[in-house]
Amino acid sequence: MIDHILSILIFFPAVAAVFGFMIQKDSIRAYGTAVAVIEFALSLWLWFAFDSNAAGMQFMEHIALVPAFGINYILGVDGISLFIIILAAFFTMIGIASLTDTKNVKNMIITLLFLQMTMVGVFAALDAIVFYIFWELSLVPMLYIIGAWGGPLRIYASVKFFLYTFAGSLVMLVGILFMAYFYFQATGVWSFAILDWYRLILPETFQLWLFVAFFFGFAIKVPMFPFHTWLPYAHGQAPTIGSVILAAILLKMGTYAFIRFSLPLFPDASVFFMFPIAIIAIIMIIYTAMVAYAQEDVKQVVAYSSVSHMGVIILGTFALNVEGITGSIFLMIAHGVVSGALFLLVGVIYDRRHTKMMNQFGGLASVMPRYATIFGIMLMASVGMPLTINFVGEFLSLLGFYQQSHILTLLAGIAIIVGAIYMLAAYKKMFFGEVTIEENRNLPDVNKRELIALIPLTIITIWLGVYPKPVLEPINNSVESIVQLMHDKSQTEEAKSRIPNLAGKIVISKASQEEAH
Amino acid sequence: MMEIGLNHYLVLSTILFAIGLIGVMRRKNLLLLFFATEILLNSVNIAFAAISHYYGDLTGQMFAFFVIAIAASEVAVGLGLLIVWHKRHSNINLDTLSTMKG
Amino acid sequence: MEKYLYIALFAPLVGSMFAALFGARPKTLIAGLVPSILLFVSLVASSILLVHILGGGEVVHVEMMTWMATGDLYIPFGFVVDQVSVTMMMVVTLVSTVVHFYAIGYMDHDKGFNRFFAWLSAFVFSMMILVMSDNFAGLFIGWEGVGLCSWGLIGFWYHKESATWAANEAFIMNRIADLGMLIGIFLVYWNTGTLQYAEAFAAMPALDSETLTWIGIFLFVGAMGKSAQFPLHTWLADAMEGPTPVSALIHAATMVTAGVYLVVRSNELYALIPHIGLFIASLGAFVAIFAASMALVNRDIKRVIAYSTLSQLGYMFAAAGLGAYWVALFHLMAHAFFKALLFLGAGNVMHAMHDELDPFKMGGLGKTMKGTMILMTLASVALAGIFPLAGFFSKDLILEVAFIDHHFIIYGVLLLTAGLTAFYSFRIIALIFHGEDRHTALGHHPHEAYTFMLWVMAPLAVLAVIAGALKGTYFEMVTAVLPATEYHVHSAAAYWTMTIGTQLFVLVAIYLAYKKYMSKDIKIPDGTSAMENSFGYKILKNQYYIPYFYEEYLVRPYRELSTILWKQVDMKVVDATVDGIAGIIHTTGVKTRDMQSGNLSTMLKWMVAGTIGMLSLAVVFGLAVRYSGEIKTILSGLGV
Repeated sequence: MIDHILSILIFFPAVAAVFGFMIQKDSIRAYGTAVAVIEFALSLWLWFAFDSNAAGMQFMEHIALVPAFGINYILGVDGISLFIIILAAFFTMIGIASLTDTKNVKNMIITLLFLQMTMVGVFAALDAIVFYIFWELSLVPMLYIIGAWGGPLRIYASVKFFLYTFAGSLVMLVGILFMAYFYFQATGVWSFAILDWYRLILPETFQLWLFVAFFFGFAIKVPMFPFHTWLPYAHGQAPTIGSVILAAILLKMGTYAFIRFSLPLFPDASVFFMFPIAIIAIIMIIYTAMVAYAQEDVKQVVAYSSVSHMGVIILGTFALNVEGITGSIFLMIAHGVVSGALFLLVGVIYDRRHTKMMNQFGGLASVMPRYATIFGIMLMASVGMPLTINFVGEFLSLLGFYQQSHILTLLAGIAIIVGAIYMLAAYKKMFFGEVTIEENRNLPDVNKRELIALIPLTIITIWLGVYPKPVLEPINNSVESIVQLMHDKSQTEEAKSRIPNLAGKIVISKASQEEAH
Repeated sequence: MMEIGLNHYLVLSTILFAIGLIGVMRRKNLLLLFFATEILLNSVNIAFAAISHYYGDLTGQMFAFFVIAIAASEVAVGLGLLIVWHKRHSNINLDTLSTMKG
Repeated sequence: MEKYLYIALFAPLVGSMFAALFGARPKTLIAGLVPSILLFVSLVASSILLVHILGGGEVVHVEMMTWMATGDLYIPFGFVVDQVSVTMMMVVTLVSTVVHFYAIGYMDHDKGFNRFFAWLSAFVFSMMILVMSDNFAGLFIGWEGVGLCSWGLIGFWYHKESATWAANEAFIMNRIADLGMLIGIFLVYWNTGTLQYAEAFAAMPALDSETLTWIGIFLFVGAMGKSAQFPLHTWLADAMEGPTPVSALIHAATMVTAGVYLVVRSNELYALIPHIGLFIASLGAFVAIFAASMALVNRDIKRVIAYSTLSQLGYMFAAAGLGAYWVALFHLMAHAFFKALLFLGAGNVMHAMHDELDPFKMGGLGKTMKGTMILMTLASVALAGIFPLAGFFSKDLILEVAFIDHHFIIYGVLLLTAGLTAFYSFRIIALIFHGEDRHTALGHHPHEAYTFMLWVMAPLAVLAVIAGALKGTYFEMVTAVLPATEYHVHSAAAYWTMTIGTQLFVLVAIYLAYKKYMSKDIKIPDGTSAMENSFGYKILKNQYYIPYFYEEYLVRPYRELSTILWKQVDMKVVDATVDGIAGIIHTTGVKTRDMQSGNLSTMLKWMVAGTIGMLSLAVVFGLAVRYSGEIKTILSGLGV
């Protein structure tokens, strides 16, 4: 059974969701929580069985779908995708467990389980068409969540989210098809398998065009400036659970895809576009931090802060060395944990006061001290305080990119300053000062149901900030093999000089060559 | 005396076709639309017959027969519908026939 | 020996977490007692380590566990107790223990008693990490940790707008400097391949001068923030919003000295780039006189003491910049004692006067607060550098260093500052404790602080007096790792002239201060006197208008720019483009909808048009195919 663990992880929630239609409305919460807990336990089993020292794909599965065109159902997991899958299972679990009173909660839970299927599918897929299917499928449950349970502008926000992302993905689909066609031309065999594509060395002009095609799909998902404007609306209108999953997992699909697709398939193009993308990343960091500072709605502050952090992740990815890419993957997980927690925290106060405007708060630290403490810890994590999970990721990402450009890293490092500015200002507006609004005086502090979600997140934030090794190690090994692959495949002088040569230091595991059955 | 050749017939056919086309485009009365359609069909008939005579191939004239038959049945059905519509709406102006607006 | 290292390091953390358990509950004495006792334990452990090192014992070096390991990067949690760090450990634990016990009395009536001790002990833990780490990353952990705890403690009374504003200002200003430090750390890693002190410093002589200069500059930028050197100094005075024990611990003895510690620890680097060292020394001298000038007219006793700290930090940097690292560290140590004492005494005065800060509203408190008066006067005498108290041995040594190295401008500036220091210190002593009683008329009925608080302050007073005697032992010990330059003025005559001259200068300043501020004519200034309206006074009172400058030209534009970026750029340009594209598609759809008007006539027209169009295309293409040869000839003739 362990050999098929990935298929189980993908389809178990979906099957459970189908059965969920038959469950009584009153027991649906228990049912949903149980399913999510089982899924999380399965994902932990996956981690337990995962070999941290191997660099290649593990737990691979292969079923032929359309052999004539080389479309197969191929799954696999390596250090890069392992933790995001676990994070997806974790967030679905705590999300469902801490769901507040929602109308049509049955629909919500079933939708969340379907969403979980698509999320795990994206990160486990090793065939481009299967990847694309799950990528696009993930939009539908999110569309429904925002559209049915969202705020006043929910239709506008959900349609914008869907169409914008979809349009980018279509460009990406064109790229995928071209890539398969080039593979066919080069080898005479049709194949959409990513691992097969890794072996293909493309001429630089082809790489540039394909990189741009894939870039559109991923950039809108990340979201990168200037394609980011769907995010504030999506977050602003979505219910708490929608925002949490969106920020924690869905945004990571874009950055993960950069590492899975753009970097190894188009190494020369990656080097070519490194500086423009770094500039975009720096704009993302500083510009959105300033916009976050100007916000009046605390959820929008957190939404823009998400974009700001994604800027650092992109910068780490395009550092094109082991430290940078490892840092960016770790930061993906860190950002998922911290942003997820921040959105949950915003949800806590929204449930009580039904407003998210910061001028409606003030002085909450004396009314809700536990809430203030947890919020404070997450605030400091978001700002990148050492010994929290974000610092490890940010430090490594910036350290990695420093190798490529000193000045740009200095500019990007301004992230720590502007991040502190908006976060501290928001915290001050909400928690410090006197209680001036009457309704705030008797608000209840965080209750058990909310703590079920918040306490584990806080523990992870500090534990992985102090001892990141169990997570860093598998990521590091997989990243080393990708960087070596990039170095070997790159053709231009500049690429060879910018991507470090790790030969002699690592052994690329042969696991990627094997197939499960 | 000028020889009446194929071209003359084709020119006549084209002129009639144009008249019919303009009628189709401009006529607002449903009945007159049918007239214009008939003109179109008949112009094509002339062309068929002329060309068939020119090539000595009877296929064209056979086709003209088919066209006449089809035109007759189409007019029969169309006039029937027209009468029913007129009974309902007392008006057969095309501009009022827009219940299938998209 | 390792166990003493761990005890000294983790005892404050345990204390902090213990107090945190009591969190938001009303004051529980044990939540203050246990952290204080644990801190005393840490002090004992540090003392044992000190004795060990003094006795020539081996440097204690542990690697606790791996922190980050990826690629070639390897950063462990490693700690080292060598001569420099054990000195810092002693200073930190000693002052912290005193402050903790003092705070049990000071924060007696405060609602946030338990929370206070949680933050305070957490701060000490961070500071211990800072001074005990054996690599730059660990230093950075402690660095940011003290920044965080400082934020929590300055903004401790969070219902006060001024306090939370000052807390944010401190954090953000420190962060600006931390960016510089981070870049410095990156530079160290990419050029030496490691962040461990020992290996990094060993690799540095092989680097070229330009790289070393940049490393030195960036690391010093980090130090500038923490130690509040100009222009990142405004947060220190504003940090006085926090409770007085906080000011005593953080802003006198520990956190602000972290910058000096960094320079001292990196002495092997700075020895290689003496021109940067000269810059540091010059900036230090500038800050010394800059801060002293602002202290002359300030009417807030805590701010005066804060400026005094800033000024003395300038002295420390001047010494470190000139290569006299052991001198800088010695002054750090001595200063910690008498400055903390001064702050704690000011705390007593504030409590007695219900948090009144203006010394002009006090006067004659010596009668009711004898103990505090003696302690504060002792501290001020030490600060002024009168023989044989501690300040003489540390501060005058710095003057000697400047003189010997022929940096006469720095010497002159520091000498002048010494006089100013004496003047403003005794200004507030005179205003508070001597002269006419001005406070009873305002309704104050002051009483002395709890006796145990005075006893707790006593060790600091003792050290302020005798620390000078420790100089010899200290020099022997610390020069095992620091350059052992001995500073002797060449001719005995010059030496005695300098020393006696400085002492006289300082004594004259003290006399002038007493004379002016003890006189019976002192009134509470109300803004009408000529001096208050003079240009010089105004500039000094407003801190050279630098805070105003920062607020008007940095903070406000940033806020406005942010709002513009949101409302004008993000919403009106970026988002509008997206909505615009969607709008175009929508409008196209609406317009082409007219094709489906349901009107048969219109549809027939479209049909005809379409058919004609397609037929024409077919004809054109057919012709083009038929005559393609000729078309090609024509086109080539046109040069296409």
